[in-house]
This record gives sequence, C-alpha cells and structure tokens, in this order.
Amino acid sequence: MKISRRDFLKGTATTLFLAGFNLPAIASSSKKKNLVVIMLRGGMDGLCAVPVIGDKNFEKRRKNILIENTIKLNSDFALHPKLKAFNECWNENTGSIVHATSIPYTQRSHFEGQNLMESGGRVAYQEKTGWVGRAMNLAKLQGDGLALSLPMPLLLRGIPKNNNYFPADGRLPRKETLDLLKSVYADSSEDELLEMMDFIKKRKDEQMMGGTSVRGKRKNRNLAKQAAVYLRKSDGPRVAVFEVNGFDTHAAQGGVDGTHTKCLVEMDDIIKNLKENLKEAYKDTIILTVTEFGRTIKQNGGNGTEHGYGTAIFMAGGLLKKSQVHTDWPGLKRKEMYEGRDLNATIDARSVYASAMSTVFDLDFKRIQKDVFWGEDLQNLSDKLFKA
Amino acid sequence: MKNFFRKVAFGIGPNEEVPSDPLAWALNQLDDVPDLTWKGKIPSRKEMIEIHARKTRIEEKKVRKKYKNDKKLLKIGIERLEDETGQGFWPALELSIRHTEAMHSTSPVLAKLWFFWANHFAIVEGGYRAQFYTGPYEREIIRPNLNQSFEKLVYDVTISSAMIHSLNNSENIGPKSKSAKNKKRTINENHARELLELHTVSPASGYTQEDITQLAYVMTGWRLGWSKSAKDTMPVEFDKDYHQPGKKTVFGKTYKSGKKGLVNVIKDLVNHPNCRDFIATKLCRYLITDNPTEEMKRPIIKAFKDSDGFLPEIHKAAIRVAFEYNDQYQKFQNPENWFLQMAKLADFSWPPSPTIMDLYEVGKKPQLVHKRPLHTLKGLGHFPYGSKQPNGFSDFEVDWTSPELLIRRLVYAKDFFEFTKSKNNNFKFYKNIVKKNFDNPERIIKYLEKANKHYEAQILLFNHPEFLRA
Repeated sequence: MKISRRDFLKGTATTLFLAGFNLPAIASSSKKKNLVVIMLRGGMDGLCAVPVIGDKNFEKRRKNILIENTIKLNSDFALHPKLKAFNECWNENTGSIVHATSIPYTQRSHFEGQNLMESGGRVAYQEKTGWVGRAMNLAKLQGDGLALSLPMPLLLRGIPKNNNYFPADGRLPRKETLDLLKSVYADSSEDELLEMMDFIKKRKDEQMMGGTSVRGKRKNRNLAKQAAVYLRKSDGPRVAVFEVNGFDTHAAQGGVDGTHTKCLVEMDDIIKNLKENLKEAYKDTIILTVTEFGRTIKQNGGNGTEHGYGTAIFMAGGLLKKSQVHTDWPGLKRKEMYEGRDLNATIDARSVYASAMSTVFDLDFKRIQKDVFWGEDLQNLSDKLFKA
Repeated sequence: MKNFFRKVAFGIGPNEEVPSDPLAWALNQLDDVPDLTWKGKIPSRKEMIEIHARKTRIEEKKVRKKYKNDKKLLKIGIERLEDETGQGFWPALELSIRHTEAMHSTSPVLAKLWFFWANHFAIVEGGYRAQFYTGPYEREIIRPNLNQSFEKLVYDVTISSAMIHSLNNSENIGPKSKSAKNKKRTINENHARELLELHTVSPASGYTQEDITQLAYVMTGWRLGWSKSAKDTMPVEFDKDYHQPGKKTVFGKTYKSGKKGLVNVIKDLVNHPNCRDFIATKLCRYLITDNPTEEMKRPIIKAFKDSDGFLPEIHKAAIRVAFEYNDQYQKFQNPENWFLQMAKLADFSWPPSPTIMDLYEVGKKPQLVHKRPLHTLKGLGHFPYGSKQPNGFSDFEVDWTSPELLIRRLVYAKDFFEFTKSKNNNFKFYKNIVKKNFDNPERIIKYLEKANKHYEAQILLFNHPEFLRA
C-alpha cells in the first residue's frame, strides 16, 4: 500500500478554493448530458470488485473467496477479472472508482440502508423523495427521469412526471379507449393517473415489447440497450435508473465464478450495453453505482460475507476527468477498520453524487449541497472526478 | 361503504348476495381455517422436496456429465429437465390454489390476510425456491397458523426449511461449537437480523449489533438435515454439534445454551411492545393507508396484548379498524389484489380448473395453459413467490403507481376479456357488478355507457379510479 493519507489530503486542498458561490442555477449548456444510476441491492462488496493489492491482512481473512487473476489498475488496486466492459472504459480513460466510501449509514440493515442510499438522508424512512429526484427538481428537469424497473424507485421521486420502462407482454388498448379513460381521470381530478396516461399514449406497441424477442426483454442488458436509445435522443430523458439484485451473499459468495461475481457481471453488462448504444452520447454521460453498504473483510461460516460499511463506487462515461481510483485509504488493520470488522468509509458517497449531479445538471455544487442534501458537510469533488 | 368488500377481500361476484351486515360478514371468516377450496391434487411439501431433490441431485448431475463438453446441448438438456420436473407448472398450481381461496372460497377475508402474512414472512426467490418451495410453505406453515398465536406462527416460520434456507441459517455455526473444532467456522447473522428487523420487533426497538450477534448464537444449530443424495432439501433439525455453547444475552435477557433458546427468545420478542406496534402498523398499511395513525393502531395493539397475540383477535381488530376508516381512506391496490378483484367481479374462468391442472404429469412438458397463472403474475410485476428481498413486496401505494404498472392494468383488462363467459358479455352484466360493488354506481355506469364494445367497458371499469382503489 503506497498511498498515504497525507498525499490524498494535499490533493484535496484545491477543492475548497474552487467551490463556487451563487452561480446561476442553470448555466447555459448546449449539450444534453445524461446521468445513469445503477443501484446495486444487497450490499456490494467493494473489496471483491476492486481488491487492494499486497495487503496480508486482507488475503488472510478471505482465504476461500479471494479473487485470482485480477487486473492490475495501479500500484495499489486491482479489478475483478470478469469486469471486462468496465476495464475497457478504464483503458479508454473513461472509467473511475471511488474506494472506501459509503453513504453515512452504519447500522447494516438492508432495508434501512437501501432507503437511505436512495433518499440520501440519515434517518431511514424519514424522507419521501430521492436525491436524484430532488436535484432534477432543482434543475427543472420535469419529465426527464426514466426508471428501468418496477416499481418507481424512491431515488427518482421528488419530481413529478417520471417515466418507467419495463416491457410488458401484450398490446395497449386502442387510442379511443385510452382517450375515454383519460377523460374519466380528468373529470375526477386524478392528476397523477392523468400524467401517467400522457406517457402511455406516447408509447408505441413495439417499444412495449422491448424491441427485442420476447425472451429476456426484461433483462438488464436489454433494458440498457433500450435506455441508451432513449437517452441519446436530444428530447429523450436525461436520467436513467437501473437496479441489480442479489449482492447479499451471506453464503457461497464464491470466488471468480461465484454469486457475487454474477451480480457484478450484470452491472458490467449494463455498462457495456449503454456504452455501445449511447454511441456519441456516451461522452456526455456519467454512469455511476450506489449500494447500501459494503461487506465484512472477513469471510463467514459459509464462505460468504456479512453486512459491512465501506465499499466502492464504479463510474464510467465521457464526462469523467480520467481513469483513477480516488480514495483516502483507511487501511485494513484491526484498529483501522470500522468496529474492527469493516472497511472504513473515508469519503461520503453523497459527495461523489452531488459532484456528479453538479456536472450533469449544470447546477452549482453548493446549491445541490443545500437543497438536495440539507446543507450537510459534503466535499466538492467535481474538479477531481469530472470534466467541467 | 361497498368498497369495504374489496378493501378486506376481493369484492362481490355477480352471483353473490351483497351481505347486509358487511362487518359481521368479514369477522365471521376469521375464527377457523377451513380446508383449501381447490378440488384438484395438492402436493405436500415433502413431495415437492423429493421432486426437487431428484431433479437437482440426480438428474441434473447426469445431464451435466453427459453434455459437459457441449455448452449448447447442456443448455437444452437443462431446459428439458426443467420442463420434465415441472419447474413452470408448480408455481402456477400454487397460484391456482391461492387464487381459488381469494375468488371462490367462503373466506376471502382470511385469504387476504393469508397473503399478508405470506408477504410478511417472504421467502427470497433464490433459484428454485419460488418454483418448488414457497407455495407449499405458505400453505403448510403459514395458513394453518392463522387461528393460532403470533408466537407459534413466528416459531414455525423460523424453523421452516424454506426460511432457514432463504436466510442461510444452515451456515450459521457457533465458532465454539463441536463442528468448529477442527475447521474454522463462525456465525452467519442473516436470519437473526431479519427475525428482529422484519419478522418481530423492527429497528424501532433499538437493538444493537451485539443483540444481532447474540441472537445469531441462539439460532446456531438450527439447520437443514443432510444426506448425500438430498443435501439441502432435508427437513430442519436442531443439531447441537453446530450450536454455540454458553449463555447468550439478547435485549438484556440471558438465554441458556441449547435447543430451547430459540423458543424462549421468540416468546420475548413477540411480547416486546415494538413488535405489537410493528404488526399493527403493517396491518393498517396493508388494509387502509400508507401512513397509519396512532388511533388506528391502538385497538389492534390492545387486541394483541389482551389476547396474548392470538391471531384471530388481532385480525378482527384490524378488520374493525378498516371498517371504521373505510369511507375516509381508499388505498391503491397492489397488482395481484387488483387482478383478483377484476377476476372476481367479471366472473372470469380463473384460475385454470383442477381438471386442467391435474392433467399435468411429472416427466412431461407443461402446456402453456398450465403455466398461465405464472406468466400472468410475472407479467403484472407481482409474482408473489418471486420476492427479490426478504422484506417481500411493498405495501406502499406509491410503489405501485407508475406508467408501467398502469400499462399492465390496461393490457390485462383488455387481454383477459378472453376469460369472460359469453353469457356475461352484455352491458347489463357490467351494470350489475358495478351496482353490487360501488356506492355511487351511476357515476361509473355513465362512463361505461360510452364504451362501444364489451371489452372496452371492461377496460374502463377496471381502470376506473374508484376501482383502482379500495
């Protein structure tokens, strides 16, 4: 481990200087920029995905589930060998990792954790809106959110008129029927149903089927293709949200072919299909991941891992400054770990998200900090991680 | 008032009388757990476990060996095996049994509460569980307990093979147990955490990581039996060789080492005030509103306490509260409940008949008609055995309101016209069911009259705001 905490802090000093004040909310920007969030449910193991190199403490505690033949990223970190699409992004200078990070939640419950990773708050179930939804509201991006899942995730709530896309079987009723129903909704002041109907009427039957054969149309890789088609349109949505389930590998987490790997590959497939199908628009996009917590350093009784704290964030897209592992590495000695068992988090994940949204939505970081994250103490990482 | 029949059940069918005393009608369904209404074959959990074990432990191995050098053939071989073991058939059969309780039984209110508890104690989809285990678990572990105590329900669920497997308690091994002597082994907290968080006291009770760890110690030793041929498909047993010796302390109370620890700790958990509050909140949320008030919860909490957690009393209190607040709150229905209400009101030929389902033989490929209930619920986005996480499907209406989910209701109301009976294909029929199920039928009928096809009337009725909520 060559990186030291002091080196890192030297690097961050400039950000204080650059933090803007009272800039206009929406700077004029000709390009449409996109944000894609992939929610990794169940607790993504940052140290399985991006293991630290040459740390005896780590290797000892994970004898049976250590990933072999990893891809070396730099002198300190390696990449899981199955993350081929992300590795390609890395090689093209459009793939980054933030390591030893987490949302500020340490209680290790999935459901509280997932609620907080989406709401961005500190008290579970307190907030009824998500951090992406609130920032979109700030940027006045009504009707620009697309969820590739059922139901509508909390993450996107906070701005009306979000759409979701998760292909159904069958065909819509004819237009006349939809119009009749719309009039029912209008007459009974059902605004929400009315809005939904407006989205639905725009949808064509071939889109309902996912533009692909029936088999696998609701699989993430196919949803990613379709999302990319929408996102690259100049009048299409600007935000897309995916979810990958199954990271909660208490048992049989496995090594390079295990369950955790399967989930990581699903994430990698989303990145791959987005990148291929976004085409030119990839360079105006940030793809990033969120998860509720990392996993314990030590393997448990069933060659799995327990709920932990610190984890990693994957980012890809042309709006990234460069390929890098950005971290303030806390170390893995017992006293360096959180409660003696978990990777510590030294960067609030919300700093990364606020900085990303500042870039994509052309919003001043301080406004996001204040209006989306209640003025909490977040770092502006925009100039370190993203292109201006 | 009439929406009460859909709020606590699935509505009034075209050939049923509207009960003159709705509350009494509902309360009368809660004392007994009658036999299932389904007249076809009902496989036991044990049979399902055997079918599944034969598939994964014997047949699949043969296929893998046979085609080990040809990925394509292997894929075809596995798919054929899945067909021959009825992988798509069993969950469809379970759904048929379940939907029959909702639509055609004399206790639809009990059925609705059965669905609630099955979701409260959800089994994670995880590979084959949804196909082979979850339906039988809900029938044999949860349903018979609906006229027992909550304490017994929790205990039976906790030591059921479905839950033990779903939450990895077989891998929860005492680090100081006999089995950990030669091989380093330790606890797996998953089941212990969810027993606290999801099944009993909820995080509001303020348990700590240490409480979770200690409860995990109490739970060590409860695992699936093992045999070479059936491995993880054996019944659950307490194996003291895996149990952590010594005393354990949960919520400040000490439990002795051994098998009895679990039953004792569950007794204390279900008697914790936060447990009563949590169950009352969830029942109100399921039946009445996303945000239950203290006044709503109070009678349910009291019934829980006074009856020592006797479920019929808890259920009756919840139904009374639902009745009291009926006109004040209408709740957007989840997709399965919406579908069942449509099927019941429109008198669909649903689910597939026992005669059809009994035609299936193990070893044959299920026909499309055999799998229809499975495809239907998956398509709706609410396959009840397909929970992605142990907290089950959401009871918040905001989670069920989005364009995609409305699309499904539009498409299904249209496509399921094929399940109507030809004698019902007239406007008189639709007027009749509206009158039976809505307080202001004219308001709805006015719109239905604008439809120029019967199937259009069906789409309009079942997507009408008053029908979407109950």
